[in-house]
Formats: sequence, structure tokens, C-alpha cells
Amino acid sequence: MASSSSTEHTVKDNAGDGAQNPETKEEDKKDDSMFECNICLDTARDAVVSMCGHLFCWPCLHQWLETRPNRQVCPVCKAAISKEKVVPLYGRGSSKQEDPREKVPPRPAGQRTEQEPGNSFSGFGFGDNTFHMSFGIGAFPFGFFTSTFNIGDQRPHAAPQGTQQHMEEQFLSKIFLWLAIVFLTWLLMA
Amino acid sequence: MAGMSPSERRLQKELMSLIKDPPPGVSVDAGIAEQNLLHWIINMEGAAGTLYEGERFQLQFKFSNKYPFDSPEVTFVGPNIPTHPHVYSNGHICLSILTDDWSPALSVQSVCLSIVSMLSSCKEKQRPPDNAFYVKTCNKNPKKTKWWYHDDSV
Ligand SMILES: [Zn+2]
Ligand SMILES: [Zn+2]
Repeated sequence: MASSSSTEHTVKDNAGDGAQNPETKEEDKKDDSMFECNICLDTARDAVVSMCGHLFCWPCLHQWLETRPNRQVCPVCKAAISKEKVVPLYGRGSSKQEDPREKVPPRPAGQRTEQEPGNSFSGFGFGDNTFHMSFGIGAFPFGFFTSTFNIGDQRPHAAPQGTQQHMEEQFLSKIFLWLAIVFLTWLLMA
Repeated sequence: MAGMSPSERRLQKELMSLIKDPPPGVSVDAGIAEQNLLHWIINMEGAAGTLYEGERFQLQFKFSNKYPFDSPEVTFVGPNIPTHPHVYSNGHICLSILTDDWSPALSVQSVCLSIVSMLSSCKEKQRPPDNAFYVKTCNKNPKKTKWWYHDDSV
């Protein structure tokens, strides 16, 4: 099929430069955009720099590397890039007011050792994190299932058919079954 | 900008900058884009001194909520589809940055400039050789086409 090769027509730009504060002077705008992530165009948070010198938020770059695992290139200049070879930037007073749910796998070089347990439930869990997380919780629903199926036939105190208690137990076991199914589905989707 | 998804935030930024500071010959229909950030119409003029001088085209951009990790779906729409060796008569464009060579550092603006440049470098107005067959058989979404890109300078 006829086509056009990218390289010669590709024009890089930095849309959104200083778009938010129209009052700032030109020079200020340029300075601000210096520190904008090349992917989300916001000021880079959890900033990392590639060996080719391009700045990204670590979460943004990580998501891009996950998107194309077989072809890891710098989004800006197409130089080879890898998780191991990016340099995290630590400004004065970094690692503060971030929403912990937005944290993606810790940046390479492992400076931030503190691990909040809530992290893994964020919708932003990628790669390794997600895997370990699902695996850890995976034991739960099976526990649910066994207890669910036991109700009614093996328990010594099962209530006789037709009584109010029996109905309640049936109802409860159905709820548990549903919970287990919902939980399993959620795990599969996660 | 609170309450927006990352893709909406980025699209909002791009839209603002395109409205404020459009490249020559390119303008965004702000009304349509503001109604639905995932669907833009861009008006494009053929550059002066090229085969398309004086012509006007419309480009449609559709974004998924994975933008900018996922490339936009870009097609020519409207009454005037440029006659060009890489543009099919149904508006599909064969341009590698729209699929294989997409990068999240590209933007609506850079895609538009690439397309302007693609048109400008055309030496002879003609449809792709496989136009009739392609238009009959292709998916509605050009991103589903397995394009075969090759390096020619047309
Ligand atoms: Zn970013
Ligand atoms: Zn680079």
C-alpha cells in the first residue's frame, strides 16, 4: 500500500506550552515548559530523565513502556530507552504531597523506600505490582467458595428445611456465592 | 481542570494551545471539540505554492481514553478529500505516525503539520493505485488497516 514514512514528515512540538497562565511573561512560559512532561504536558511529577535527555513523569513513561514492551523507544527522539536507564530527578522538597493512589511502581534507583500498603489498590497498578497483588488476594474467594458450599449439607447444625432459619441460611449462602463470583470477576478483570 | 481524566486533561491543553496559537493553515473547530473532547474537526488549507493551494480540507480526529498512549484515528472528511497518493477516496490516510510510529510526544498539532507537509511534497495529484479495492474492502477505522509503509518521499 502506498504510504508516507513518518520520519520526514514528523514535526515535534510541545502543545500546551504555558497555555494555562496567559498573564505570565514569555520568558517565564519558556522556563515553565522546560519542566513539562513530554507525555502529559503537565509539570513532570516523579520526574525522570532518559539518557537522551528527555523529561517525563515516571508514571507517564512507565505506561508508555508498558504499551509497547517490544519496542522501547524515547517518545520524543526514538532513541532506545529502558526502565533501568532513566535517571530520577529529586528537587528540593520532593516526595511530599503526592496522592499515594497515583503512585505507580517506584521509580528506578529505589530511593523512596517507604511503602504504603494502600498503594496496590490504585487503578494505576501496572505490571509487576498488579500481578503480585492479585496473586496475594487470590486465596480469598476460594475460601469463600468452600464455606459457601458447606452450608446446608455438612454443617451439623443445619436448620431443617422450610424453617425461617433455613431460608435465611439459603439467602445468606446465595449472597456469599454472589460476593465470591463478583470478587473473582473483579480479580480476572484487574 | 479538576475531575478530568489524564487524556481529557491533555486534550484540553492541546485544544487551548491550538485555539490560541494555531500553525499556519490549520484551525480547530473549537465548538465541536468543546462539546466532546474526544472528537475534533480540524480545518486545513492547502499551502501556498503547492498543488493544493486554495483548497480547503477537513480532518476528523477521534481519540480514545488511552490517548496519548493510543494514537488518534485521523481521516479526511467532508466534501473535499485531497487527491494524493497516500490518501484514499474514503478519507483514510496512509501515514505511519498514525499507527506504527505513533508516539505520545506527538500531538494534534504535530499530526496536522505532518499531513500539511505530506500534501505539500506531492508532485502529482493522484489516488493510491489500490484505491478502488481498498475503499471497498477496508474497515471503517483506518487504524485497523495493516498498512505497509515504505520510504518514499511523495
Ligand atoms: Zn507526565
Ligand atoms: Zn529522547
